Amino acid sequence: MTDRDEALHRPWLAAGLAGGVAALLAVAFFRVHRDDAPLPAVAHRALDLALPAWKTTEPVNEIVYGTRAFDTFGETFLLFAAVVAVTVLARGREPRHEYVGEASAAQDEQARVDPKRPPGSVRARAAEQAEESDASPVRPADRARLGTPGPEVAVEMTVVVRIAARVAVVVLAVAGVYLAAWGYSPGGGFPAGAVLSGVAVLLYAALGYGAVRRMVRPALMEALEVAGAMAIVLIELLGLVLKGSFTANWVPLAPVGTIRSGGVLQLFSGAELVEVGTGLTIAIFALLGMRHDWSPEQ
Amino acid sequence: MILGNYLAVAALFSLGLYAVLSRRNLIKIVMGLSLMESSTYLLLVSLAYRRRSTAPVLLNPPKGQTESGLAHGNVADPVLQNFCLTAIVIGVAITAVFLTVAVRAAQHYDSVDADDLRALRG
Repeated sequence: MTDRDEALHRPWLAAGLAGGVAALLAVAFFRVHRDDAPLPAVAHRALDLALPAWKTTEPVNEIVYGTRAFDTFGETFLLFAAVVAVTVLARGREPRHEYVGEASAAQDEQARVDPKRPPGSVRARAAEQAEESDASPVRPADRARLGTPGPEVAVEMTVVVRIAARVAVVVLAVAGVYLAAWGYSPGGGFPAGAVLSGVAVLLYAALGYGAVRRMVRPALMEALEVAGAMAIVLIELLGLVLKGSFTANWVPLAPVGTIRSGGVLQLFSGAELVEVGTGLTIAIFALLGMRHDWSPEQ
Repeated sequence: MILGNYLAVAALFSLGLYAVLSRRNLIKIVMGLSLMESSTYLLLVSLAYRRRSTAPVLLNPPKGQTESGLAHGNVADPVLQNFCLTAIVIGVAITAVFLTVAVRAAQHYDSVDADDLRALRG
């Protein structure tokens, strides 16, 4: 057995390996192009295509949802897979027990493996149960008089943070939607989704779960996420059916600088906004709300 | 000087790698992976940068230029900016997966020390 107090595992070996990688990367980077090199052909192609083929003034959008649409499609489902992985790993027995029979299967296994001890980490589960059975309702921190000490329970933060968060949330939410609806030009659902999930997390951090409970519910979020993913599949499949290419534009192009400019780019961006916004929110809140699962204690 | 950015990328990546290889705390290993991930964002935006260039937006051209003229002017590389954008969003989701695994491991083994995760050794 190794020394329990040892924080580092073979630091000199790791330092040697990491130093070697750093030296290799540094040597390699001396050969990489500098900031005066001409743009690669693929970048020129995207810049040339953006205005005539898609009527959008933002080539980055043209690349995300046009030229590289198939890659974005794959990346979206990578995100989807990550969210599913978090949801499955973080799943507790309470809300979905008996869904596929884990709880009853685990009871048998638990009885077989260890008939005397209660399942799970005893101390942690006792603490969870104590939290659940705490009948005294948490008093909203907004009702406390100014000048009194900060909230004792870690549900809400101090009055400074609560007010700052309430102001910042409005700005962030508007900026997020504006990013997708307009920005330099319409598009940008990918970063806008991340901003909107940030709004939910900020509200949670400052005001507690009660502030976001009505919106951030598994039933609503999961339905929205699947709807976003289905919309992306449908948008791309319609390109295949109507125009013979999976990523082709099948929407009439509106004039440059209008909210509908970019054709199918805008639809893809909107669906991506829903997919990324809900996906990240599900992943973060599933992680925050993790409880013990049914597995026996080691 | 863009070379400074590249060297910072090498340093950040190696620091992250050092954390992953040497630390035994699962949370610190995830932090190391996040550091390695951030170094790739810096690399992508540094590769996209061009000296005295503008953002790749074909809007409001200066006097005497057209919007399509901007496309052939001195602009940053939009393809690499797109890579960076997607990498950030995917990175957040992957970090969430790592952390979920770390929390589950901590629940099962009552420890976040990677050295305690030995169930497969029999």
